[in-house]
Amino acid sequence: MARRIGVLIATTVGLLAAPSLADAHPHVWVTMTEEFVYAPDGSVTGVRHAWTFDDMFSAYATQGLEQKTKGQFTREELEPLAKVNVESLKEYAYFTYAKVNGKRRRDAFLDPVDYYPDYDPKETVLTLHFTLPFKAPVKAKALDVEIYDPEFFIDFGFADKDPARLVGAPAQCAVAVEKPRDDFFSASVRLDKSMAWEANVGTGANFANRISVTCP
Amino acid sequence: MRRGAAARLLSHVMLVGTIVALGMLAHEAFAQTAPLGALRQAPTGGLFGWLLSKQALFYRELSGLIRAAKTDGSAVWGLIGISFIYGIFHAAGPGHGKAVISSYLLANQETWRRGIALSFASALLQAITAVVVVAIVAILIGATAKAMGDTVRVIEVISYALIVLVGARLLWVKGRAFAYTWRAIPADNGSEMAHALDGHVPCTHHDHAADQPLHAHDHDHHAHPHGYGHDHSDDASVLPWGHAHGPEPQELAGPGGWRRGLSAIVAVGLRPCSGAIIVLVFALAQGLFWAGVASTFVMGVGTAITVAAIATLAVGAKTVANRIAATRAGCGTLVLRGVEVGAAIVVTLFGVLLLTGTIASERMGMF
Repeated sequence: MARRIGVLIATTVGLLAAPSLADAHPHVWVTMTEEFVYAPDGSVTGVRHAWTFDDMFSAYATQGLEQKTKGQFTREELEPLAKVNVESLKEYAYFTYAKVNGKRRRDAFLDPVDYYPDYDPKETVLTLHFTLPFKAPVKAKALDVEIYDPEFFIDFGFADKDPARLVGAPAQCAVAVEKPRDDFFSASVRLDKSMAWEANVGTGANFANRISVTCP
Repeated sequence: MRRGAAARLLSHVMLVGTIVALGMLAHEAFAQTAPLGALRQAPTGGLFGWLLSKQALFYRELSGLIRAAKTDGSAVWGLIGISFIYGIFHAAGPGHGKAVISSYLLANQETWRRGIALSFASALLQAITAVVVVAIVAILIGATAKAMGDTVRVIEVISYALIVLVGARLLWVKGRAFAYTWRAIPADNGSEMAHALDGHVPCTHHDHAADQPLHAHDHDHHAHPHGYGHDHSDDASVLPWGHAHGPEPQELAGPGGWRRGLSAIVAVGLRPCSGAIIVLVFALAQGLFWAGVASTFVMGVGTAITVAAIATLAVGAKTVANRIAATRAGCGTLVLRGVEVGAAIVVTLFGVLLLTGTIASERMGMF
């Protein structure tokens, strides 16, 4: 009897606490195409993001914006949105994390430049373009950039085609992309580590998308 | 004696449960403040991973179905069905009041029926706020997504503040009940010393004593000197707790109880679900606002079912625990009161952590 109650209570407590801990709740999906921009001396000067939002969030994001032609947005019409977007992204460190030669580099980036949104009326999706310049250009054997939302309210995923490119890189540099998941969900989920509270912050990190550049 | 052991085990389990719940909450608070991107932790797997993958799939279905509904009326049925299932799965994520409602029910002497009513009422309110916010901000004012996000944030703050208030009130009521019970225990007789020598803590001893007037003497503690002839002052009739139920403060059962139930409903249900808002705006952009409204309400029903199921479980656990505690009036009741206080603390803490932004319930994308 007591054991049964114990189980009942433990289950209740678990159910109460666990979902709020597994903060996994995306409402926004982003398809990314990434470019690493190189200086002539072979150092990486910045990361150029192109993030395409899912159609529902695109509709939400463009809500209330003035438009001359229904269903279309010019770059001027989208300008206020770009500003808001880029400013709020600062709070989340642009969801972009860099590792140089295997060591995480905090505050690696300056404020974004060359930002503009772009609306595809056919697909009814919004794409946000922006470039994050490195504070100090990176010349390293190994550079990893991870893009994810640690709280997993935004589900980032690479584009199927050409998800990452090097622009102006030395010939010996190679880029590789690690997709830790299938369509919507991590393929790297390990069922042996399923305790919900182990996966709190960093939940999003489990869905991290990594671009690795090696220049031997 | 077996019953005594059961009650003691139960007390321990419940205490541990409360501590674990508080601990997890604290852990959450701590972990959330960790620097972004600093951790690469164990992946979410098992049940939650599965729920997560499912809800994502269903959510992605919604946009296609709303689009289809423009040309094909029958697609609405698909939309309704997917919204319903999505609601059920989605409620497993944060921001739908499971924790607050269940803790509220645990803290109070609530029936499962009321638990279900609370769950449905708060989910319904959540759907209504989503529709009202989108109707006012997007349709009437024609404001942007940023304005929408700001509006939701204001509602959110009010909602979290209400959760703190509900929790604080519970804490006050339950804390007093706990203190009352606590004080009543050593007051029952003066032979504590003798029992302390027996190796009994006063609480345990008290259980034995309180048991006797209520039940057949079915336990075999022959070593104890006291029996039926003993003069106990802790007869059930004078105890501050009854046989089956702790006599809750009067106001809980009365109409005031409903009013406080209402405060819990509003506290939990005021903040609209981000997903519902996005679906509504999307439907509006497609010129099918009503489809979004239908989807939102059906989602609400699905959410309510999940929340109600968890709430019922909470009430069930409490009821069973109550029944056992009733057979062990002293310590059992004290532990029950303790759990209630613990649940009240959980509600309050939850509100505070949400209000201070230590834990995020939901976020509206990136605005």
